[in-house]
Amino acid sequence: MERVAGYIGRKAIDSICHILDLFAFTYRILTLAFSNPKEGRALVGRVIVQQLYFTAVQALPVIVPIALLVGSAIIIQFAQFSGQYDFGRISVLLIVREVGPIITAMMVILRSATAVTIEVSYMRVLHELDAIEMSGMDPIRIVCVPRMIGITAALLGLFIVFDLVSIMGGYAIVWLVTYIPMSGFLHQIAKAITISDITVGIVKAILFGMTITVTCLYRGFESKRQITEVPVATSRSAVECFLYCLFINVFISIIFYL
Amino acid sequence: MPIIELSNYTLAPAGSGQGINNFYFSLKKGDVCAIDTQNPDDARAFLRALASLVYPVRGIYRFKGKRKNLKAYRDMLPCKKKIGYIAPDASLISNLTLRQNILIYRYYSENDLSINVDDKIKTLCNTSRIADKLDHRPSELNKMEVQMAIVIREISKNPEILLLDRPEDFIGHANFDILVQLFKDWIDDAKPVVFLSYDRRLVRRFANRKILITNGDLTTVEVKWSNEHES
Repeated sequence: MERVAGYIGRKAIDSICHILDLFAFTYRILTLAFSNPKEGRALVGRVIVQQLYFTAVQALPVIVPIALLVGSAIIIQFAQFSGQYDFGRISVLLIVREVGPIITAMMVILRSATAVTIEVSYMRVLHELDAIEMSGMDPIRIVCVPRMIGITAALLGLFIVFDLVSIMGGYAIVWLVTYIPMSGFLHQIAKAITISDITVGIVKAILFGMTITVTCLYRGFESKRQITEVPVATSRSAVECFLYCLFINVFISIIFYL
Repeated sequence: MPIIELSNYTLAPAGSGQGINNFYFSLKKGDVCAIDTQNPDDARAFLRALASLVYPVRGIYRFKGKRKNLKAYRDMLPCKKKIGYIAPDASLISNLTLRQNILIYRYYSENDLSINVDDKIKTLCNTSRIADKLDHRPSELNKMEVQMAIVIREISKNPEILLLDRPEDFIGHANFDILVQLFKDWIDDAKPVVFLSYDRRLVRRFANRKILITNGDLTTVEVKWSNEHES
């Protein structure tokens, strides 16, 4: 019994330490992001643009069809379930507030977060981070700051794209391929969306972006000696990112809507 | 005043090495130190310690007389950029081209991405036959070209100290003349150099101090090579 309690206690302490490490790492990245000295600004700017391109622009061909499928499925289900009563409002509740942020975050985790963990882990194993330091550059400023800004901005953009495509596109698909009456749908949506929905969307996108970036960078930066440790770090970071995003999603929903 | 000074320094064993116990070492302008050891892992650990890339078990690291806290890595960055580190564990950044790798220090310090390699570096690239591969990524080059690019990157930093691990392997035996010329340039500039080499010609021609690492102990001796030795 003592052993079990000890095991649980040690695991709990490890988890708390890990969370505190993540907060400390976030603080370090944010300090550097806000201080932004002139030296190296051009280099950081270029990496931000590259990250935006990889995470946002290249994700569009994937996120748009997913948004269409999810949007039309939700609209069909709720149109039948609600008997047209307030179904625009229910769609907004589900897509804008809950499904949109989570699916967008999941796409970013699958496409970019894992890639960032792999890239940084390789940089660690192959001593590329040492090479950056030996050039007098701070790896956190060169590697982490642009990725945090790029991924967070990309997530915000993708979140807007997902919501628009899933509601408008979903509406168009349902209108084109089914006989479900859709009168007043867009009007209901316009009435249902409030300022707090938009605020929650922005807050979720920023927090998800920061959480995803910090988690995958932290796992990438962890000391490694062999290439075989890279897949372990990648799978850990993906699972942790998703878990943290779910927690944050619930936490924000409780704060804003309860 | 020594540029780098390690006192009461102890390095943990790395690889097949025994570690180095409680040693003192100082590196001044004009020093050209050749490392003599049976165990290259100890020599590599020593070079990494000079480059402040490994933490000691205990000891004090001074750079230009100022005591440094190695764990405050941001305070170490200005020191690190003054050290040219040419060793098998040095690497190029794989998602940048050769040109970007060579220029990354200048991109950062001059805050300008439109700069190009200067004439001295261009000449070095031509001599080492990588000039036409400057827009390739490291994965598209062979090992020797990558190593030569690392040498050029470190030289383009215009470092105050040079640390070299088996430069003859790194630069290539075919490019021995380039290596000799580089050593001459560094000695003319009175830049301190610490190197591990199995090429006796290089050691006898340039070294004025010898660092002996045996059984976990480090000692340094001044050397004066006689003409007899050189022949």
